[in-house]
Order: sequence, then C-alpha cells, then structure tokens
Amino acid sequence: MISPELKKVILSELDLDDFDLQDTTIAPEVPGWDSLNHVNIILAVEKFFNVKFKSYEVLRLKNVGDLQTLVNSKTGK
Amino acid sequence: MNTNTIQLDDSKTLWERWQRNAERNPDREAIVHWVAGEEPFRWTYKNLIETAKKFSVKIKEAGIKKGDVCAIIMHHNPYFYPLYMGISRAGALPAVLAYPNPRLHPDKFRQGIEGMSQRSGLDYILTEKDLDPIIRPLIEKPESTIKSVFFPLEWNFKDEVDPQADREIEQISKTVKETEPMLLQHSSGTTGLQKPVVLSHCAILNHVVNLGSGYNLTDKDKIVSWLPLYHDFGLIACFQIPLAYGITTIQINPFEWVLAPILLLEAVTKEKATLTCLPNFAYNVLAEKIHEDELEEVNLESLRLIVNAAEPVRHDSHQKFISKFQKYGLNPLALAVMYGMAEVTLGLTVTDSGKPITELAVDRNELSLGRMKLAGAGSVVRVCVSSGRPLNGCQARIVDENRKDLPDGTVGEVAVKSVSMFDGYRNYPEKTAEVVDNGWYFSGDYGFKYNDEFFIIGRKKDLIIVAGKNIYPEDIEDVINQVEGIIPGRVISFGEEDEAMGTEQVAVVAETKAESDKEKNDLRLAILKAGMGMDINIHKVYLVPPRWLIKSSAGKPSRKANKERILSREDKQVWSR
Repeated sequence: MISPELKKVILSELDLDDFDLQDTTIAPEVPGWDSLNHVNIILAVEKFFNVKFKSYEVLRLKNVGDLQTLVNSKTGK
Repeated sequence: MNTNTIQLDDSKTLWERWQRNAERNPDREAIVHWVAGEEPFRWTYKNLIETAKKFSVKIKEAGIKKGDVCAIIMHHNPYFYPLYMGISRAGALPAVLAYPNPRLHPDKFRQGIEGMSQRSGLDYILTEKDLDPIIRPLIEKPESTIKSVFFPLEWNFKDEVDPQADREIEQISKTVKETEPMLLQHSSGTTGLQKPVVLSHCAILNHVVNLGSGYNLTDKDKIVSWLPLYHDFGLIACFQIPLAYGITTIQINPFEWVLAPILLLEAVTKEKATLTCLPNFAYNVLAEKIHEDELEEVNLESLRLIVNAAEPVRHDSHQKFISKFQKYGLNPLALAVMYGMAEVTLGLTVTDSGKPITELAVDRNELSLGRMKLAGAGSVVRVCVSSGRPLNGCQARIVDENRKDLPDGTVGEVAVKSVSMFDGYRNYPEKTAEVVDNGWYFSGDYGFKYNDEFFIIGRKKDLIIVAGKNIYPEDIEDVINQVEGIIPGRVISFGEEDEAMGTEQVAVVAETKAESDKEKNDLRLAILKAGMGMDINIHKVYLVPPRWLIKSSAGKPSRKANKERILSREDKQVWSR
C-alpha cells in the first residue's frame, strides 16, 4: 500500500495532480518518470522522509511498492 | 613518443586486427563486463576470439551470408561482444539497435524497425526470446526485408568448433576487402527518420589510428564506459577503438548506470581505468546526484582522459564536476572535448589531452548576430567551450548558406571531411546528396573557428538532444497531432535548456480550443502519455489558442520563431506546465 506521503512526493516531483500509484506500478507506466528523472524522484523522496538510500538499494527497486518498503525500513515503520 | 605507444599492424579488416591482437596478447583482458553487485565477467582476448569463432559458425549455419545486415537487439550481456565479432567474421554487417523500453508501445517499436528495415535493408534480427512475439509479425509481413529472427543466447557453445566449418568461415572472412562495409549504425535514436550510416573496414581502421592518436592511447590505457552500444560514442570510442588497439574496455550496463551513477566511479576505482567518455548531462548527474558518503572509497587518480561529446558542452557542467571530484583524485586537466558525428565514423575534432580546454567568454548578443566578439564591460556573457582542432586525417571549415568559407570568428555551418567518411546513407541517395558535396559533409551544426580551434554553438537543423540521445521534433509532432483536443497540424516541438541537468529537454507547443484549467490539465496528461508511447519524455507542455503559432514561409508552424516567442515568456495567452 502506497502511503499518501510517498504518493504526494512522487506526484509533486512529476508535476502531476493525480495518478493511481499502486504497489505494482512501475516507473515507465507513470507520465514523466523516465530514467533521467528517476534520480530526481529518489532524491526528493530522501529529502521528504529525511533518509538516505544506497545506490544498490535503489538499483534493486522494481516498482513503487519496493520503494515504499525501502522508505518504511529507513523510517522504522 | 611515449614508450607505451601502440604500433598498429597492417590488418585490412577488423576481424584480422582482433585475431592478431589475440595472438599477441592472448591473456590480456579484452572486455570486463560489469554488472552491479556481481563479480564482473572477464573476457581475455583469446577467449573472446574463440567464442566469436563459435558464433560465426552458428551464424553461417543459420544461413546468414556475407553482406547481410544483422540487427542485434539485446540487453547488457557478456555474449553480445563475441556475437558482434562473429557476425563480422562471417562478412555480415552488425547493426546494434536499442532494446525497447517497457514504455515504448509494441506498435511503435515495430514501426521503428520497419522504417529502419526499409532504409537499411535489415536482413536478420538477432535478439532475446522475450521479443519474439513483438518481432515475429514483422517477419511475416509480405513486403518485409527481414528474413528471420534468431536467439543467439539459446545457441549451444559447449561443443568445440567443427574445424571444417571454421576453415570455411575463415575463407569467407579473407574475401572481405578493406573497402567493404563493416558495420551499419544509425544517426539517430528515434523512429521514423533514422539515417543508416554504413562504415567500411578502412574507415574504422583509419579512425582508430586517428582518434587513438588524438587520445594519445597507449597499451596501459583502459577505457570504461556506460554508454549504450547502439550509440556511436559508445560503439566506436568505447568498443571498436579498445578492441582494435588491443587494450581493455570495461562495459557497464547503461540501464544500471542511470539508476546508480556511482557504478562508473566504482569501476574506475577498482579497475584503475584511464579513460572514459561522457555526454554533458552525465557530468551534472555525477557531480550532483550521488551522496558524499557513498564516495568514500572512490579514487579517480587513474583517469587521464574524460571526453565530453554527443551533446552541446557546457562550461558549468565541467566546473561542477571538477569541484566535486578534485578531492577524489580527479585531475582537472583530464577533461577533454570531442566533436564529431556518425557520418565521419565518430570524431572530427578533439582538444589536446592533458591540457586546459580553451574557453572564451563572448558577447552573447554579438554571437546571436553571427559574430564572435570577446565579452567586454556591459556584455551579456556566454562561455563557449572549445571542441579542439581536427584530428589527423580530418578537416573542418565554417561556411555560409552558399557553402562559401567564412573568416575566423564568424558563425556559420560546420563542413567536415575525413578519411573515415561514411559511404553515404544506405538506400537514401537523395539525403546523401543533400548533405555531401564534393567530398565535404555539411553537418547542420553552427559554430565558429578561433585560433585554429572550433567552437560549436548551435544547430541549423531542429534536432533535439536529450542526454546524448538525438530526437527529431517531427517524430514528436506526428504523434501529438493525433491527440484529441489538439488542432491537427498546429503543433511544434523543440529542445529547451535544462541547466540543472546539463542537457536539453523536450517541450511541446500545441494549439487547442480548450479553455478551462481542467481541460488543459487533461490535455497535458494526454500529451505526456502520447510521448510515453514512443518512449519520449515530454518535459514541458505549452498550450496556446487557435492561430497563435507563427507560420514559416512554407505555411507550417515555424519551430524557431515559436520557440523564441515561447521562451520570451511575454504572452499571457500561453498556458504551461
């Protein structure tokens, strides 16, 4: 389940009003989320949640659900 | 002369050169295939050649003949390299194409391959099984030039090569002349308008000598790259050159690099790489998108040359890179710039390695009038970064619209000539005739010459270059024209500078009758989705009322005039997001 906070950060970085982000959503399905922009989204998520991801953790992310799990693990949820 | 300078032999084909390199240094590492978090796969020259021979036998068995064009569409895979070489041994022409991104609609992908095959005459596709359902319909079409699709990663390589089959292929290989085509590469990455460039063995072998000399290559060099091999910067500079020189190349997965840019720095540190090639945006990404605490073990002291090419070079990007990485051992004098194009194999001019790159602070207003004038008090300054002097065997000049020479310091089109010139666009004589005249290729790039150095400042053609990838605005406009709510034929697309990322981004201007904010937001989303279907990220959408776009004399909306009007940001009728 994608938290409202994570959804808000991603959509704000992509300048989208709304988009149905599910656990299984992958970046290529989301308008504006391309490989060049990916690093900016990750940095925005880190900033909002005040966490830091290692590059290898980012590489392993397959979908938005994985990103949520990573955020949860860093924030102790 | 440096004692480690490589003396190149008199090989007439690339296969002959590769084989001789393997005989001279069988145990030297040829390719280090880098995969994040895993031990790299290391090809020695001997193993690489032996596996390439196995591939060449399979290729012959598959019915592929000398002169056939073989498109390779594969992910980052260690067997890509011997496959490529095996195709060449069989006298066929490898052509590397991009593996489709999941966002690219299958129809759009097929359409791209079809367009390419009509021009390039693609004979075979060598790919992975996953793509079979997408590619198969192409072969079954009655008018298709594509004869078959093969899955080389499924072939069996455990058995030794049958000596008779091996001898037969070697005989075929020996019939290949140096003037015959070696490879086919495409001048652009998008779908409809690719121009297939055929390069001969001698064009590439000459270029190897000239670019290698421009880089001062020695047998101590190791070239590390994350560049995709369907791009000429990756294929020629980071694959063909090292293999033809008999040195080591370290190949990083481009998809992994873009997600984890630190991979390049790790590879440099662990493999003690000496040379790398980067499009401009990569300097920004490396300097600004990696956390400091991940850099603790990074050591860039081994890097003696970092070549910036494939998109306009920006002074700020170099400065950011230097200030970030000097403390990790970066020598600022390692930075270099190259200018070139697929039509001359790759490089045309290069700055002197190990010396500062010339930068000129010029008056921006004068430059827009076509004159280079050094900035003075009160000038709006633009810093122009030199692309260096022509390589050996290359010539360049600046010409006016009538293709007459212009004096130094005057902006005009860059015309080029090289011993490594292409043999024309394949099956596209009318396009070749447009750009080649009396042995000179008219590049469509704008620049000026100053103190024997060339400075590239813009483009005559409307090409958009995003992160080193060439995109034709026509491709985007064709798709956006079909979006409901857009007035058909009333769309333009252009490249808008993104200073933070050090590259251009795609912008679209479209006329619409939509009035409410909701209608316009919905329309923007539809435009973004249409771009996604062709794997192009539309960064900015400008919506304007009917009859807003300025027409050119040909009656079509003018990209140049409308771009200027949009970027002046003076018209309140423009909605943007």
